[in-house]
Parts: sequence; C-alpha cells; structure tokens
Amino acid sequence: MSKEQKEAQAVMKQHMGLKASQRLSNTIVYIILIIMSIIWLVPFVAIVLQSFRNETNAAGELVTWRVSYWLPKKWGIENYRSLFVDTSFPRWYLNTFIIALVQCVVQTIIVLCMAYTLSRFRFKSRGKLMRFMMILGLFPGMLTMLILYRVLSDLNMTGEHAVPGLILVYVASSGMGYYVSKGFFDTIPKALDEAARVDGATRFQVLYKIILPLAKPIVIYTILTAFMAPWGDFVFAAYIAHAKEAGMNVAVGLNSWLDKDHIVKYYTRFCAGGVMVAVPVSILFMCLQKYYVEGVTGGAVKG
Amino acid sequence: MKKIDGLEYLKLSKWNKFVYRFLSFFAAIPGKLLNLCKGIGKAVVKFFTGIGRSLQDIVTTFVHGDWKTKLSYLFMGFGNIARGQVLRGILFLLFEIVFIFYMITTGGYWLSKLPSLGTVETHTEMVKEQGRFGMVEVAKTVPGDDSFKILLYGVLTLFFVVAFIYTWRANIKQNKIAEQILKTGKPLKSGRDDLRSLVDDNFHRTLLALPLTGILVFTVMPIFFMILVAFTNYDFEHDGLNHLFHWNGLAGFKEMLSWNSGGVKYSAAFGEILTWTLIWAFFATFTNYFLGIFVAMMINKKGIKFKKLWRTVLVLTIAIPQFISLLFVSQMFAKNGIVNGALMDLGIISEAIDWWGSPTLARIMVIIINIWIGIPYLMLIATGILMNIPADLYESCRIDGASGWKQFSKITLPYMLFITGPYLLTSFTGNMNNFNVIYLLTGGGPTNTALSGTSDVGHTDLLITWLFKLTTGSNQKYYLASVVGILVFIVVAIITLVVYNVLPSVKNEEDFQ
Amino acid sequence: MASVKLTKVKKIYDNNVVAVHDFDLDIKDKEFVVFVGPSGCGKSTTLRMIAGLEEISEGTVEIDGVVVNDLQPKDRNIAMVFQNYALYPHMTVYDNIAFSLRLQKMPEDLIYEKVTNAAEVLGITEYLMRKPRALSGGQRQRVAIGRAMVRDSKVFLMDEPLSNLDAKLRNQMRAEIILLRQKLDTTFIYVTHDQTEAMTLADRIVIMKDGFIMQVGSPAECFDMPANLFVAEFIGAPKMNIVKTNLLKENGKYYVNPFGVKIEVDGEKGRELARRNVPAGEILLGVRPEHITLAPKGQGISTRLEVNEMMGSELHLHVFTEDETRLIVRVPTIGLSAEQRKGMVYGAPLNITFEGKVMHFFDPKTEKNLLCD
Repeated sequence: MSKEQKEAQAVMKQHMGLKASQRLSNTIVYIILIIMSIIWLVPFVAIVLQSFRNETNAAGELVTWRVSYWLPKKWGIENYRSLFVDTSFPRWYLNTFIIALVQCVVQTIIVLCMAYTLSRFRFKSRGKLMRFMMILGLFPGMLTMLILYRVLSDLNMTGEHAVPGLILVYVASSGMGYYVSKGFFDTIPKALDEAARVDGATRFQVLYKIILPLAKPIVIYTILTAFMAPWGDFVFAAYIAHAKEAGMNVAVGLNSWLDKDHIVKYYTRFCAGGVMVAVPVSILFMCLQKYYVEGVTGGAVKG
Repeated sequence: MKKIDGLEYLKLSKWNKFVYRFLSFFAAIPGKLLNLCKGIGKAVVKFFTGIGRSLQDIVTTFVHGDWKTKLSYLFMGFGNIARGQVLRGILFLLFEIVFIFYMITTGGYWLSKLPSLGTVETHTEMVKEQGRFGMVEVAKTVPGDDSFKILLYGVLTLFFVVAFIYTWRANIKQNKIAEQILKTGKPLKSGRDDLRSLVDDNFHRTLLALPLTGILVFTVMPIFFMILVAFTNYDFEHDGLNHLFHWNGLAGFKEMLSWNSGGVKYSAAFGEILTWTLIWAFFATFTNYFLGIFVAMMINKKGIKFKKLWRTVLVLTIAIPQFISLLFVSQMFAKNGIVNGALMDLGIISEAIDWWGSPTLARIMVIIINIWIGIPYLMLIATGILMNIPADLYESCRIDGASGWKQFSKITLPYMLFITGPYLLTSFTGNMNNFNVIYLLTGGGPTNTALSGTSDVGHTDLLITWLFKLTTGSNQKYYLASVVGILVFIVVAIITLVVYNVLPSVKNEEDFQ
Repeated sequence: MASVKLTKVKKIYDNNVVAVHDFDLDIKDKEFVVFVGPSGCGKSTTLRMIAGLEEISEGTVEIDGVVVNDLQPKDRNIAMVFQNYALYPHMTVYDNIAFSLRLQKMPEDLIYEKVTNAAEVLGITEYLMRKPRALSGGQRQRVAIGRAMVRDSKVFLMDEPLSNLDAKLRNQMRAEIILLRQKLDTTFIYVTHDQTEAMTLADRIVIMKDGFIMQVGSPAECFDMPANLFVAEFIGAPKMNIVKTNLLKENGKYYVNPFGVKIEVDGEKGRELARRNVPAGEILLGVRPEHITLAPKGQGISTRLEVNEMMGSELHLHVFTEDETRLIVRVPTIGLSAEQRKGMVYGAPLNITFEGKVMHFFDPKTEKNLLCD
C-alpha cells in the first residue's frame, strides 16, 4: 500500500469515527431531552389527573383532599361542576379577566409611549430620567404595598372593590417596564424616522405609520405579557383583596384553598381551578409564542 | 501594585495573568469608590450652584424685567396673558389658585403636623350630654391625630409645594424668554402653536405625561414615604390611629444591625437571611444560565429532530402561571404527596421523605425547582443568541484546530456572556427579590427556631419574603420592614455598581459588533 | 426650485464639540452643489441642518428667503435621499413613493399618476408591488430617489446616496443622477466623500475639513487652483505629489530645485509669481501625477521604480527618488513602446521631469496656495 493510500484510509476511518461519534452523542442528547420532557410534563399531567378525581372513600365521603397515588380510582367532572357552582371561582375568574383585559390595553399604550419617547427623542433630561427610573427599580416594590393599601382603602378600592384598585396600581407603575420595547425600538434605524419627517410626517404620524407597524412583534409581546401577568400576580392582589372573596383574583383565591383549614375540602377543586386557568392562558401563549421569543431575546440582548 | 503595560502582560504565564487581573481588580476598587464619591460630591455641588444660579436669575429677571414680568412674580401667568399667550397664562394662573386654595384649606394643616406626626392621642373623655333625665356624663372616644395620614398627606403636600416652586420658576423663565423674543421682533407662540407642538415638537412631553405621573404618584411617592417610615416607630402597637407613632431617628437601623439589641435578634436574622439570599441568588442565576445554554445547544444540535416539540414542552412552564405550577409542585412534594407515594410504590424509598422539613433539603429543593421554572427562559434567550453568532467565527476556529469544547469555551461562552451580561445582572438582582418561588413553594419554611420572635423567620426566607412577613405577620414591624427594604436597595445597588464596572458590554461596546 | 442661503451656521454638540464652524454659503436656484470631504468633516451635519434633522446651534438657514431654523423638516418643503435609502420596510415600493403624497392628502388618482410616472422615469415600474427587501441595492436606490422625486420640493438633498453601491452601479447611477437633474431642474445639495462624484456632478464644490470650508468653487477651479494643500491633495486621483523644496529667484526668473534638480517655473505660473512678487524661500511644491513626464536618461530627476500598477489606458508608477521620497507618476500607455514597458520592473531606473506651468506652490506654514487670494 502506498503512503497516500494509507493516509486516505486514515482519513476515511476518522470520518467514519466522526459519524459514529455523532450518532452516539445524538442518542445521548435524545435520551436527555426525553427525560427532561417527562420531568417538565409530569406536574401538568398530575394536576389534570387530580382534577378529574371523583372517588369516594370507605366512609362514603368524596375524596377532596390530597392523596399520595396518581391515578384517580374513579373519574368524573364533579370538581369542575362544583368549582363553578359552589365556589367564588367564577367571580375570581371574571375579576382576573377584567384586570387582564384592561391591563393589556392600557399598559401596552403606556409602555409603547415610554419606549418610543426614550428611544427616539433626545430631550434634555432624558439621561437623568432613565437613570432615575433604574435606581427606582432597585427598590423592592413590595415595600410600597403598605402605603398603597392605605391609599386605596381611603379611595374605597380594597376588599370587595379590589379590582379597580389593582388596575389603577398596575397601570400607574407600568411605565417602569419599558426596557424591552425600548431595546427593540433602538434597533429600528433612525433614518426611517428622518425620512418620514422629511416626507412630511409629524412625530405622531412617524409613530403610528412607521414605528408601530415595524415593531409589531414587540407590540404583541407587550400585549401578551400584560395580559398574562394578572393571572399570576399573587402578593399584591392578596394584600389588596384583604381576605374578601369578592375582590380576589384567581391566584389569591386558589391559594387560599391550600391553607390548613381548606385544603382537605378544596384540594381537588384547586387542581380543577388550576387547569381552568392554565389551559386558556397557555393556549394563548403558544399561539403567540413566536412574538414572545422575539421579545425575550431582543430584550435580553439589548439589556 | 505595579502596573504592567500591554505587551509585558502578554508575556506573563496564565496563572500570573489571572493573579494580576485579580489583584488589579481589587486595587482599582478604592479609586472607583473615590470616583463615585467625587461624582456624588460634584452632583451635590452642581445641584446647589444650580439653585444659586436660579436665585440669581430670578432676581436679575425681576430687576431688568418690565412691569408685566414683575407682576408675574405675584400672579403667575400674568405676563403670558398680557403678551397674548392666553392659554399658557390661564394654566399658570389656575395652578396658582388651586395651590393656594389647597394650602389654605388642608395642605397647611398637614405640613404643620408633619414634624411631630400628631400630638393628640385617641382617648376617652367624659362628656356631659343631655340624657332623658337631665345632664349625664358619658364616656366617649375622641379620635386623635392619625400619624399615618399626617405622614402620607404631609409627603403629598411637600411634593405639591416642590411642584409649585418649580412651576413658579418656569413662569419666571417664560417671562424672561418672552421679553427676549419680543426684543428681536419675532412673534410669540400662540396657544394654537402650543397645542400643535404637543403632537410634534413637544410630542415627547405628551407621551411621557401620563406614564410619569403614574410613576410619580404610585411608585416615587410611596417609596419616599416608606423610606421615611424607616425613621419612625410605626408598628403593630403604634399604628398611628390608636396610638401615635413618632420620628425615631436611626433607632430602626440600630435595632436591625447592632448585635446587642437585647431580646429579639433581628441582627442575627438579618445576617442569616442576607447570606441565604445571596447564596440563593447565585445558584438560581447561574444554574439556570448554564443549564439553559446547555439545553439550548442540545436542542439546536445538528441532526436533532423535533426541535419545535422539545421547545414547546419546555416553554410550558412559562405559559402556565407560576402560582399554579409552583403551588402544585409544592403539594406534589408534600410528605404525603404523590412524589413520595410514587417513590414508595416503586420501592425506592421505604419511608416518606419530608422534602420541606429539613433546612438543607428545602433549600436544595427550591433551587432545583427554580431550575425547572427557569431553564425555558434561558433556553429561549440562548437559542436566539446562538443563532446570531456568526458562523465564520466557528469556521475559522475549526480551521485553527479547535475541538468542540474549545469552540464552546472560546467562542460560544464569551459571546453569550458578552451579550447577556446586563441580563445576568438583572436576573441576579431579580432572583434576590424572587418572592414568588420562595413564597409559593415553602412560604419561607421550615421555621428557624433559633430566631424565634423575628416574625417566624424560616430557613428559605429571602429578605423580600421576610419583609413581607414583617408587614403582614401577627406582630407587624413596619419600620423594620422599611429598614429591610432600604438595606435590600443598598445591597442591590452595590452589586449593580460593581458589576457594571466589570461588565465588558458596558466597557467595550464594540468588541463583538 | 429655490435658493438656499446659509449664514454663519454653526453646530455645537452637547459635549461642546463643534462640528461645523461659521458656514457661509449662497446656493443659487437650480444649482447643483456638492459638499465633499473626509468623514467627520461636518458635511452631513450641514446637510442635516438644512433638512431640519439637526438643530442649528447658531446662524441662520434660509430657503427661498425664509428663515427655516425653527421649522420642522416637514414644513421646509425639501426632499432627501438617505445613504442607507431609509425605505419603509413594511410598505411596498408604491406605498413608499406615495407616502409623502398621502400625508399631503393628495387624491389617490393623482398619486397614482405621479408614482407611476416617477417609476417609469427610474425604470422600476415592474417592482412597484414589491417590498424593499426584495430589491437589489441599485433598485432600492432608485426607489429612494423616486420617493424624493414625486414631492416637487424646493430643494433636493442627497446624503451619500451612492456610497452603498458597488463600483459599477455607482458609475451608472452617477450618470442617471446627472440626467435626473436635467429633468427635475431644481436645486440640489449633494454630500459625498468621493471626489470623483463631486467633480462629475457639481456646478460648485464645497470642500470641507474639520468643520471648516476649505474651498468653494467649480470643479475646474478646485482642480486647477486648489486654495490650499488639503484641497490639492483631496481633489484628483492619484493624489498630488508634494515635495518640500526651495523657490529660487534669479534675474527675475523663478526656479525650483526638487531633489537637487533645478527646473524653471515657466509660463503663466512664472509670470503670476513675478506679478505677485513672491519672495524666494522654502515652499511646498505640488505636481499632479499626470503632469509628470518621463525624461530621457541623464535628464531630470533620477528615480527607481518600486511598483508598477497597470490600469489599462495608463500606468501608475510609484517611484523613489534618491532621498527615498515616494512620487507617483501617471503615464499613458499609448505613448510607450513595448520595449519601454518591458523595462518597467522593480528597481528599474527612471528619469522624470515636469514643466513649470503644472506646478502648484504652497506656503509651508499656512499651507495656502501662494497664487491664490
């Protein structure tokens, strides 16, 4: 065998080795991904299973408490029926939905105003303003709960009337969350604004004829996050609702079922309620996932 | 230490390079602190010279101004109206009237009470009343001052006063400018011009007006108020209404930070919780970060199919509100929950594990479950960035003979770190204040018995959850909560400052562009 | 169609950097003026101040006799073509061109007529329904010009419109801009860093450096009589050779002695020197590469060849004199015999010379042209 042939063979071998090793590594990756997917799905499968538990124990009581086995012995939708008929859940659901709806309109408008202004205008106090907002953001927001509660209770916006109070506070502080959108706006070339202004557009026309159409992903991202946030907000909503059922959102309400006094009676209904919240929200999320990803990555990259 | 110039540095061995950089980082800290202090000092000086210059300008404008200007010192907007800018003038005047009316009717009262936070306690008084059978003495509760309201409305009034002074100053400036413009023979802007400029020249003011007002009223003022609370003795007993609270100086800080404050060991609790908060934030941030990148690389690996499927499954934890997933997971790991049930059925363990019972196990559990929550975010971010890394970087790296690991450590990781530097910082500080994960999973527990009397401090409590407990528990210590809040701010601010000074994306913005 | 007048225009940035110093210029109606200079010289800033995209720190800008300092860009009645085209990515080509007309609330049928007319002139009719990202660089450039064209504005501003195109397209578009100019018959202000564009397009060139105007004049004036060393080196390619030497005056005649070779300044230049009674002394001597000729062996300045660039119709010869000064010589290929060309290799000795009438004289201190006012 000549030297060249030997070399060629060695290269071939290496090549084969490469392929084999790649196959091996891909198999490992598949195994990891499958295990991960199982871990990720298990809790959600479990909660769905629990929510359909419709069994009675030896004493003839409906099993509404936590059990240590996975599969229901008897299936049924009793938990869902009871959730909507016997509890304040529909009220909570409506409360949350109203908040989310208002929030996704108003917050989007406010965030876009802030982001557009801070991205496009170079006014005198711009730098100071942004620095000030950054410092403000370093304070734990929870600190202000106490006083906001007192102010809202003076305005009669706590307890049963917590919904307008919550909306007011969410809306008022939504300007703080402009970073992601501003990061996105910054990537739209300024020359477009200038061209439009030379073409005869006012600043306002520049915003809604040029910037907004181009910023569609971030607009949808803002709407989506604004809509989703109220479904998960817990601390502040609990504080404002002040243990009044009529003023709770789903998070506060469902959480209240898990304390020592309620869990025995309400555990399975908690699961059903969780499913009722999770399904529509996650479907919405999955539909708009593309925009969410764009927003998240854009925001992280721009800081 | 000795400074080494660029070329000499290159000659150092790897270890020496590291030592050099390590030392020079710490050697630079005093200088940076000094610069910071200087910066603050300069800002303060600038602030006061600014005020001085304003005062001077106010005086000179008065001296040189015409009678319209002079009258504007008393009646805001007079000059505007007299010079034909009716709209502006009326707005100024209206503001002045509202301000004066408010100060006379209520504002003055709140301001006068602010230094003492109220003097009259709520008490019972014997009052003579016309009863059915003549005059009788009846015990009646007489409401006293409400310290909380005094502080709240006092602060509000203060803000209002500042706003008024600012507007008054603006009013004077306007007069001065108007005079100057008229001198050059140009016309002044009319009310219609002003309105039109709100969608064009001054569009930024229009856009910012609403959001900033909201932030001022619902974020800035509450924070200012809560900072003031830290200097009072506002707590469960002294709630302001039934018992007044008072200015108490730095006593709250002393109680929180000094080691010998007697009975309740707040300082010990603070030390312990701060340590755990930092440990938690570190692990929560970096486990998520590296595992997230790892998962993203796995999913994006050449030859892996169903990329979309894997991604969608992981993203479920983002899509589903955290309170559902976290509360349910917390229930799954209860002592008689389904995890223990499954493990016992499978014969892996014979006795139920108390996942949330032991401090160490509970801490490990929250970190692990946080990974479950956090990986998907990082996976999404990392995917976006990985796709943006120019392919020719890898190509040239491969031609230079780098292995897969070298490619990762020399290209992927530096690139990721560079791009996500600011994100890492915000996610670290965000994790320090990650209320949801801790509160929904453990509620701070298991209780730390060594620190009893400090609002049920638990082993997984973060500063932020402790703050929550201090304001909601059975024995509320509002002023201590406020102190904790301020300390959290200081810690976060220090970390932010230090990191910003080391962060490459801030220092050399163009490196990877 | 309008005149543009800039009086003492100044641009000071927030960090106190002065980008443009006291810019005075009177642009006549229908004139084609080119601002040219290296990057950072303030040419784009000046243009943007005229457009209203940049605040004017001091001085006034007048369009048609009206001071426009405080007017928004939309109220100045100008059209502008941007370097990166600045096409609206979410609109079709048609909508891009129609954008400004729609803002004017022009009726749609009139818009249709105008847009299609402009598209026809520019040859982009078939792309009207496409989005900008589906177009090539040249086509995008045409759309950008079309967008500016339909506006019938008083002044047509162009900010480095060709610098993103490849060399071939650039030449083609340059010719088209000349044609366009004849069709539109309006005032043009054009910014470029490329002296060739400036020379070929302009009625008048404004050469800038570090925020100062170096020279204003027609292309021929700037080429033949550069006001200072900077203009001399900036205009013309390859750039002018500059040699430090002495100006000698003997019997009323002027001589220069570069590299120890005495050459008489004859012709017009000599008479002009005498008329101005320029004293003898050290000067900077400038000679354009195309004005240097090859001399027979033993005559003129002896050099050796370093690099021979074959450009086709001419050769660019980089030669070194005995004291290692590099000069560039441009020789037409047509005048050379095959033998001569063969001999032009690395290290070959070459003798060069030039006449007095092609010389430029600069003061070594002020760098001003000695024959310029």
